Amino acid sequence: MAGLTIRSVRKNYGPVPVIKGVDLDIAHGEFVVFVGPSGCGKSTLLRMIAGLEDITEGTIAIGDRVVNDVEPRDRGVAMVFQSYALYPHMSVYDNVGFGLKLAGTPKDVRDAKIREAARVLQMEHLLDRKPAQLSGGQRQRVAIGRAIVRQPDVLLFDEPLSNLDAALRGDMRMELARLHKDLDATMIYVTHDQVEAMTLADKIVVLDGGVVQQVGTPLELYNKPANLFVAGFIGAPNMNLVAGTVDAINAGELTIALGATKVRVAIEGATSLKAGDAVTLGVRPHALTADASGPLKGIVQLIEQLGNETVVRVKLAEGEEITAVLPGQSGHAVGAPITLAFDPASAHLFGTDQLRVG
Amino acid sequence: MTLPRPNTLVARGLIILLMILTLLPFLSMLSAALAPQGTYPNGLQWPADPQWGNFVRAFEVAKMDQLLLSSFLIVLGVVPISVLLATMAGYGLAKLTTNKYKWLYLIFVFGLTLPFEAVITPLYYEVRAMGLLNTRFAIILPLIGLYMPFGVYWMRAHFLNVPHDLTEAAQLDGASRWKEFWHVQVPLARPAIMSLTILLFLWTWNQFLLPVVLVQDPMQRTMAGALGAFQGQWGTDIPLLCAGALLILTPTILIFLMFQRQFVAALMQGAVKG
Amino acid sequence: MTSAPAAQRQEQRLPQTRGSRKSRKAAWFFVAPAFAFYAAFVLVPLAMSFYYSFLRWDGIGQARFHGITNYVTVLTDPKLLQIIGNAFQLVGYFTVIPVVLGLAVASVIRGHMAGPFGTATRTILFLPQVIPLVAAGIAWSWMFANTGVVNQGLRAIGLSDWARGWLGDFVWALPAVGIIGAWVLLGLCTILLVTGITKIDPSLYEAARLDGARPWHEFIYITLPGLRQEIAVCVTLTVISALASFDIVYIATQGGPGITTMVPGLEIYRLAFAHRQVGLASALAIVLMILVLISIAPIQWFAREKK
Repeated sequence: MAGLTIRSVRKNYGPVPVIKGVDLDIAHGEFVVFVGPSGCGKSTLLRMIAGLEDITEGTIAIGDRVVNDVEPRDRGVAMVFQSYALYPHMSVYDNVGFGLKLAGTPKDVRDAKIREAARVLQMEHLLDRKPAQLSGGQRQRVAIGRAIVRQPDVLLFDEPLSNLDAALRGDMRMELARLHKDLDATMIYVTHDQVEAMTLADKIVVLDGGVVQQVGTPLELYNKPANLFVAGFIGAPNMNLVAGTVDAINAGELTIALGATKVRVAIEGATSLKAGDAVTLGVRPHALTADASGPLKGIVQLIEQLGNETVVRVKLAEGEEITAVLPGQSGHAVGAPITLAFDPASAHLFGTDQLRVG
Repeated sequence: MTLPRPNTLVARGLIILLMILTLLPFLSMLSAALAPQGTYPNGLQWPADPQWGNFVRAFEVAKMDQLLLSSFLIVLGVVPISVLLATMAGYGLAKLTTNKYKWLYLIFVFGLTLPFEAVITPLYYEVRAMGLLNTRFAIILPLIGLYMPFGVYWMRAHFLNVPHDLTEAAQLDGASRWKEFWHVQVPLARPAIMSLTILLFLWTWNQFLLPVVLVQDPMQRTMAGALGAFQGQWGTDIPLLCAGALLILTPTILIFLMFQRQFVAALMQGAVKG
Repeated sequence: MTSAPAAQRQEQRLPQTRGSRKSRKAAWFFVAPAFAFYAAFVLVPLAMSFYYSFLRWDGIGQARFHGITNYVTVLTDPKLLQIIGNAFQLVGYFTVIPVVLGLAVASVIRGHMAGPFGTATRTILFLPQVIPLVAAGIAWSWMFANTGVVNQGLRAIGLSDWARGWLGDFVWALPAVGIIGAWVLLGLCTILLVTGITKIDPSLYEAARLDGARPWHEFIYITLPGLRQEIAVCVTLTVISALASFDIVYIATQGGPGITTMVPGLEIYRLAFAHRQVGLASALAIVLMILVLISIAPIQWFAREKK
């Protein structure tokens, strides 16, 4: 049983801090996704877990063992690299078996394990080939095979799908989900693609600027983003964020003034906000509906017809532009006026400290 | 782009002229080598009665068999070790890329332009102090050191292009540095190692200054060094000298023709990188 | 649940070093053996050369400290200055002839030398690079001899007056040595330049032609800049082999007649081992090393500037 405990971990490259104090608990068997924009420190954190980077400060424990000073090979981790990092001069069979060979596993045991891994990944027919003779997706499988063959406690993935085309990425995503079910291993997965994060993760860790922004299940992050960064990062198209002020406070509901426009937002529990406070209103494009009686009036700037839905870019009377995704093939036209509404319960509010309100 | 026809012809003409110029000295040597013994041959002309026996005589006089053996032993002493050390150091220096370690690489690179003459005098005293004067080790050991700048430079350039991920993958697979080096890096470096081997072989075989200064006995020298001695001894017997020179050239030229492609590639890369 | 305000997103330049301290320490182990050989047979001798250069020493007896006298001698003695001058004159032959001829061939061909003709060309032009310089020296000594091919050719075209023992001639010996070097380096430079020119995008030439460029313009504005790197390589190699020449001179002329073909490399050898002036030889060696360095530096700078 090997969970992972990360305590106040910091990493500096010279004077430049990259990881600025991360605490994280990962339970055994969890599929955890680190997500964030490039340069947020997610890969560095993964590499520190793998032992490929020194830990400047803090501790990382795998199971009960602090591994700060343990060699990568003794940590019980395996990693799938973004570039796959297959040994070009070895056959697939030898690539997968290299680690076992180094560990001195007897030949027959090794052979059985390699073939088992190949069977799980449906790549038995590729065993004699060299990496150069494989397609991107096949290389990906080999890289995963190499990682799982030694039955590591923790499997690390560093943006493993980013070199594949869209269709293949979808297939591999499902494959990985299946693999996670089959193997009894903790998986940590780094990506900048929020779709991968949402579909694969038991738990998402959103990182930005070397700091954990939020940890939670995919739906928690979607439904209750903890701050403006998470709100803007999770969900596609991006959440509309509009500046406004608190106009009135009622039980469980606030009225927000966006210039002359007044909108209602439901909140849970008490709030310290008072009338006149500046806030940011967040509404997901999918939460907007075309409703002639709605509060948001504007002019259609741009229309993207996707068939099953229509993306409409609207310039509000106050000058802000927002995006709405309307169901079906709506009959709106560029330059025509449009009126939008949203359910008060689906809106988000963020204070001047960028944190979520309610 | 289609080249205008006349240009191609001019180019061919120029190149053929260059080739003739290149071959002329060899032909002139051959014609002299076939002239009757002891005569003073005249320019380039096919002798009325080609004396192929001159080659046999030169072979015996120069003790070609012993020379070949000696050169071979020296090459064997120099090249494998040099390639191994240069490969290791090239790998190590490719890993040490911080500014802190840059000086170490720069020290090696400094040696790239160093004329061997700049160190030959102290080398003589050093080798003498080691008691190696007049042995093949007097050539072998210094040459290994003198080849390090180029070898290290060459191999480092190769290793810098190997993705760092491979190293890390090997680390995670449980490879120690040493195992990673042998099982992953060296097999991948094979083309670079091959080129380096060819270049070092050539430079060793043709090395002249070190044997002249450090080894008196021609039988302990490289081919080029022995040829120098041969010239000193038989310089006035033009047919014999030319026959001997041609014989001494033959092994390198044969090997060159066999590995023509690799040689040209190695020399070209060697030139560009060096 | 941890949450924090989004920190300012800064462009984080990943430093060059990745990996752990331990792995860097292990790298030393790989470098050490090569460094040991390099230190023992290059760095230490070089330091000794430097040390000797301040001594008056015959290599056997007591050495005496001599200050910078040896350097003063190297830089003022007319004979030694002439010898250094000879080396630079050789640069004229070793460098200019191969580079100019190579450029001419390359800009006329401006394409791949493919097929059997290309292979034959490469093979033959590379021959002088493969053989020992000593052999080149012997071959050309014979070419330049009284009854050699050069004179034979001159007589054949009615220039018998010009025929002479080239390598024994006070005026012509140095140019003759220069020709030998040019012959050795010509093929390498030609092939390098011909290969280099194939890397220039042919559409550049087409564009230039549409812009109204003459062949001469194409050469100046496209070929030369495009071959900058290769030219730098050729010049570097040939300059080093001219300044540090030894083998050819040793075989062809032994520095004679007089000192008209004497070069620093051979003079170091003569001073140290024949004349037993180890200090002076070492000073000349250090000067030679520095001359090579300062001759090469501007070429390297010139080649790198482009990037």
